Amino acid sequence: MTGLILRRLAQLPLILLVIYTLTLTLAWAVPGNPLENPDGRRPPPEVQEQMLRQYNLDSFWRFYGSYLDSATGVRYLRDTISGDAAQRAQVAAEAGLSPEPRFVFDLGPSLQYDDWRVNEIVAGSLPVSVALGAAAIIIATIVGTLAGVVGAVKPNSFADLSTLAIALVGISLPNFVIGTVLLLIFGVWLQVLPIGGWGGIDRMIMPAVTLSLPFAAYIARLTRMGMIEQLGSDYIRTARAKGASERTVILKHALKNAFLPVLSFLGPASALAMTGSFVVERVFNVPGIGQHFVNGVQNKDLFLIMGVVLIFATLLVLLNLVVDVLYRWVDPRIT
Amino acid sequence: MWKAITLVIIALGLLGAVVWSGGRSERADFTFINRGDVNTLDLQRMSYLQDLRVARILFEGLVQNDVFSEDFRVVPAVAESWEISEDGTEYTFTIRDDAKWSNGSPVRASDFVYSWRRAMLPDTAADYYKLFALIEGVQEFYDWRTAELSAIATGTSTYDSGADLWQATEAKFADTVKLEARDDRTLWMRLVRPTPYWLDICAFAVFYPVYPRLLAQYERINPGTGRVDSQRGWTKAGTLISNGPFVLTDWKFKRRMWFEQNPHWWNQDLLAIRTIEIPSMEDSNAQVLAFQTGAVDWVSDVTAAYRAEIYAQKQAFYDEHRDEYDRLLAEGWDAVEIDRRLPRDPRNMLQVWPVFGTYFYNFNCLPTLPDGRENPFADRRIRRAFAMAIDKKSVTDEVRRIGEPVARTLIPPDSIGGYTSPDGMVHIGAVAGDAERAAIAAEARALIEDAGWADRMPIIEILFNKDAGHDLIAQAVAKNWERYLGIEVRLVTKEVKVYRDDLKNRNYMVARAGWYGDYGDPTTFLGINKTGDGNNDRAYSNPDYDQLLLDAGNERDPVKRMQILTEAERILIEEDFPLVPIFHYSSVYLSNPFRMSGISTHARSKQNLYLTDILTDGIGPDEPKRMPMKPRSAEGRSLTAPTPSEGSVQ
Repeated sequence: MTGLILRRLAQLPLILLVIYTLTLTLAWAVPGNPLENPDGRRPPPEVQEQMLRQYNLDSFWRFYGSYLDSATGVRYLRDTISGDAAQRAQVAAEAGLSPEPRFVFDLGPSLQYDDWRVNEIVAGSLPVSVALGAAAIIIATIVGTLAGVVGAVKPNSFADLSTLAIALVGISLPNFVIGTVLLLIFGVWLQVLPIGGWGGIDRMIMPAVTLSLPFAAYIARLTRMGMIEQLGSDYIRTARAKGASERTVILKHALKNAFLPVLSFLGPASALAMTGSFVVERVFNVPGIGQHFVNGVQNKDLFLIMGVVLIFATLLVLLNLVVDVLYRWVDPRIT
Repeated sequence: MWKAITLVIIALGLLGAVVWSGGRSERADFTFINRGDVNTLDLQRMSYLQDLRVARILFEGLVQNDVFSEDFRVVPAVAESWEISEDGTEYTFTIRDDAKWSNGSPVRASDFVYSWRRAMLPDTAADYYKLFALIEGVQEFYDWRTAELSAIATGTSTYDSGADLWQATEAKFADTVKLEARDDRTLWMRLVRPTPYWLDICAFAVFYPVYPRLLAQYERINPGTGRVDSQRGWTKAGTLISNGPFVLTDWKFKRRMWFEQNPHWWNQDLLAIRTIEIPSMEDSNAQVLAFQTGAVDWVSDVTAAYRAEIYAQKQAFYDEHRDEYDRLLAEGWDAVEIDRRLPRDPRNMLQVWPVFGTYFYNFNCLPTLPDGRENPFADRRIRRAFAMAIDKKSVTDEVRRIGEPVARTLIPPDSIGGYTSPDGMVHIGAVAGDAERAAIAAEARALIEDAGWADRMPIIEILFNKDAGHDLIAQAVAKNWERYLGIEVRLVTKEVKVYRDDLKNRNYMVARAGWYGDYGDPTTFLGINKTGDGNNDRAYSNPDYDQLLLDAGNERDPVKRMQILTEAERILIEEDFPLVPIFHYSSVYLSNPFRMSGISTHARSKQNLYLTDILTDGIGPDEPKRMPMKPRSAEGRSLTAPTPSEGSVQ
């Protein structure tokens, strides 16, 4: 187990480097000038050139190198060792100001939002998305598993068919439709929930439920299929013959095995849910990280694109690792 | 199993705690949704409308516009008075002695010199440095430093280090740039030539001051490149020091900005609100819902797909009260006050009126396109023919549907005091009968024939960015051209950044465009058509036109100067057609006139939001602010009419 964890962690930098190179190549190839405003005036050409140089946007390799330098923490180490950082902090302290924040893994400035660094943007939005995504996954797991078990125990019953129908709706209806309908019902007509924003559990309910629906639907179908298969197998018959109660048979024996496919689904699903959903964030005005994927590309904000992609990749690798570890713990046969 | 459930419950509890900790329920006295998220609060680097709007909440310049006056006149702000020399080139401002920064220190003349110098340094990459170049010596200083910086980069510099260059730069600035702090309270400057709108420019937020001692901590001279490296971070809440009516006390990216009164502001008695909040809300639907549920007081830019329907409801409301409405209009009340005097009605919450901007189509004037094809639009007869054949009225009435006025001119009429707009040209939507339309279409076809393109016209391409309904307008225009000119049209839709790049490289035939004026002078619109101007996407070049702009620059008599500029605009829109104005933008606001006051209906469309008064809260005078009375007959409702007819904008 320790070997697995170490091996995976050792692979992480390599994976990130490959993803970094690929993403930067693609993002660089996207046509359009990141420094152009969407409307109206453009800065004088000499100003534009000046900015291109300032951000190393005039050469792919220079950008590639300098970004790597700061994002990997090499620059931080260099500044620390050379005493440059300490000197700056002293200057600030003498002037009675707090020193500028430094980041070990500096993801650079945002090109679109001049006053913010990508680190600050991620630090502000990732916790929101993780909280929302975790809530959605927990809801999805509970609801999905319950629905799946109910369906599998009495296949083709009314309960089974209605959960299947709801699951179908959950999978096929896009988030923005469900989100808007929920907003209209609970936010505008009944006025029991706030219509958007962040802060407080009440603001979290609608986006979490909306985000959880497709996951819940998929989990319900996975559980149902697994349960039906398990309930027909020999060891279940043995358990029943032995006189185990139906509850024990279903919850202890069958579900434990039927849950395995769900577990492997949860890894990527969590990564997906926790790195934010552009649509849900937009409909409910949640300040999560998902919007930055879309805005970053739209604005050709290279630093922001690279930042969120690298964060997403890291999360994906780590969550998959967690699932693999859990898997082995649940089912020791897998090595 | 119970273990699992326990785990889940613990996880949920933790999650709840995390979320709860960020909770808040307070509401600001005035909450509004800005046009978009603020890009920067660095005054000298600003160019977005939403940034400038926030800048005027936080900072204060030498002077400001009285947004509730008919002529948008310039009134004192940080400067209590000023003197202009006989020849109109020298300005001496006296700074009031109670002007203070939010940390209590006095605002000094040298603060302005420092701030303006930032914009004049190529290091800052200020979008508007060209405006500062109206001051004598700025262009020379800018070019000198640019050359010196590139000398360092190429290793040919005569300076040993970046620090040396910086010393030389300070000396050069003092020598060449005619901008001086004569003492703590006296700021002197000399302009390249008399500029009648210079005071109006000084009211532009890019000319407001930043606090030098704060910025100095975030700037250092790069020993290698010699450049001023400025770090971000000084604009954050808690760090930012400003000199305006409010201070920034909270700014969470993409969440909200929160402002509280600046206790050191000299004119605090003016304020009728204690706090301002700008929540970040991107979804246009959510914005309308937030207004309807009372979470926000003002939505500054309604873009929801159904806004035309909201607008139609408002028109129906006016129709129900037509007599009353016409009477109020004739008495001369402004648009908001009219709404306030009509019965309360939920349909009465949308305000639409023309602003200081125009939507137009660019014609590429280059003889050949970048890909080598011959360009028919290099011939002004072709441009004229295509311009005539656009049914602008169908664009405003059937596509936009929010009552924006059809544009005959580039500069919105009546927006600049003392300026008379030229007539513009008749277009096919301005005439009613089929016969007249056929006559115009025939005239346009004859022009094409004349220019020798009739039998070899290529497929015409219209370039636009994919957002904000530009596609619908392009479809309407394409239909006009196919119908009236018998020409095949292809629509080219691109991502906004690509579209902007294509414009700059003149990689298009026809392209959608728009422009908002920055200051109250025709040159803010006309300058973009000067030969070689950085925003001349049309590659238009007419020596006569350039000469007229030069002449206007040298003309001392304001009346004659305006006449020269009228002639310049006439060349654009009656003879040469590098562009064809389609409609003047309107602002589309959501606000409750019974609840709040402080929104100006002036066509310059600049809002000074610190003037907001919530009429129901018992703070401040709770007395609506109004524009001066301006009686309008039903025919002459050029500024505030709900349905401006073609006749009203001529």
